[in-house]
Amino acid sequence: MRLILLFAVFLVLGLAFESAVPHMVSFRALIPNLIIILVVDLGLRHHGVLPAMLAFAMGYATDALAGSHPGLNAFMMTMVFVVSYEISTRLMVTNALVGATVVFFGVIATALATVALADGFSAHSHTGALLPGLTLEAAISAIVAPFIFSMLAASKRMTGLPVRPMRE
Amino acid sequence: MRGGFLWRNRVLLTSGALLIVSLHLISTGVRPGDLAARPESAFLEIVSPIDAAFTRLSDGASSIVTDYLDLFHVREENARLRNELARVKSDRARLAELEVENRHLGEMLELKDVLGANAVAANVIGSDATGLSRTLILASGSSDGLRPGMAVLANQGVVGKIIAISPHASRVLLIDDHNSALDGFDQRSRARGIVAGLVDDGLILKYADRSQDIRIGDTIVTSGLDGIFPRGLLVGTIIGVHRGAPGLFLGVRIEPAVDFRQLEQVLIVTQPPPHLDDSGKS
Repeated sequence: MRLILLFAVFLVLGLAFESAVPHMVSFRALIPNLIIILVVDLGLRHHGVLPAMLAFAMGYATDALAGSHPGLNAFMMTMVFVVSYEISTRLMVTNALVGATVVFFGVIATALATVALADGFSAHSHTGALLPGLTLEAAISAIVAPFIFSMLAASKRMTGLPVRPMRE
Repeated sequence: MRGGFLWRNRVLLTSGALLIVSLHLISTGVRPGDLAARPESAFLEIVSPIDAAFTRLSDGASSIVTDYLDLFHVREENARLRNELARVKSDRARLAELEVENRHLGEMLELKDVLGANAVAANVIGSDATGLSRTLILASGSSDGLRPGMAVLANQGVVGKIIAISPHASRVLLIDDHNSALDGFDQRSRARGIVAGLVDDGLILKYADRSQDIRIGDTIVTSGLDGIFPRGLLVGTIIGVHRGAPGLFLGVRIEPAVDFRQLEQVLIVTQPPPHLDDSGKS
């Protein structure tokens, strides 16, 4: 329950930030993808059925404020969770650097997959134009990720949740 | 059982099931009123006031920064003059903002008069949370009489249509989104086509026949045939005609009439345009 509440608060604030700020900033790529950072933290540090469902719910909540195909972000966030979880179970250490790397590739992969899924093969010719902006957004998200991880860790400590991954 | 296959792979199995659920949602689509649309609508309702607060907060912050920078250059002046200056500047900024808002609302009223009484004004409080689609969030919803599929306009031209709704908020799919399409025609040559968005930020006129006389600078307006947008509304201006484009049709690029990033207020047409009967007359 504490995990749900904690991530719900971060999710609402993150989504409000991500939908309000781009309207004032002329260059969208400067805004980090906070939701992927939250999902990566879930995948790296919380192994269980509830975190998997939470990742799906966070994606579905993102669908309420982004895109035109409900379910698309839910799919992408679940995929990011699975990849983060798999990485976490195979690596000896899952520190902020690993998290930032997963966030970097996660932002690029989900964006390209989202466009491909939503638009089919017709989008293929235009994805090249998206890459520079996407790479910048991914880099900024990766830079911001360790700060968000620390904020999450501090909040988890305050609420008595485990900060390090619970190995299975 | 804790040592069993299901227990050991519970995370992957759950994730797999959730991936199948999301693929089902994507493939079948979620219609307004469906059970699956309720959480989405509820979340839009929860986030929209916070979104509006963020928007107000950042407006206030930028005003404070501007005031501070102005004051920094006159810090040699005495405290009374500085306070006076700050107050005057603050009043002036507020008045300028009110003037702009007043002008926007005046233009909206003019547009509303042109459209008739069946239109509702709404404030823009946010944009697409991921940036991969082009959508806006409005501070009006079903309690204001809005419904999915309604046309959204600005005083400069066509903005998009409503795709999701909650009691006090709604989302608009902009016409330059890659999933958007509307029926339009060249006002000079009367050549028809489908105005569609591109993934890499832009607007094109699809299915314009190569024999059509379409030129740079021509104006594209709505045809009203899609049953969403009233006829004759400005969509944009042609900025490129590529006759050597592959396929059967012309490659036509359009500059949208509306600057979607600058939108603060929009007008929603609450009654669709009259449908054409079989003889083609409205």
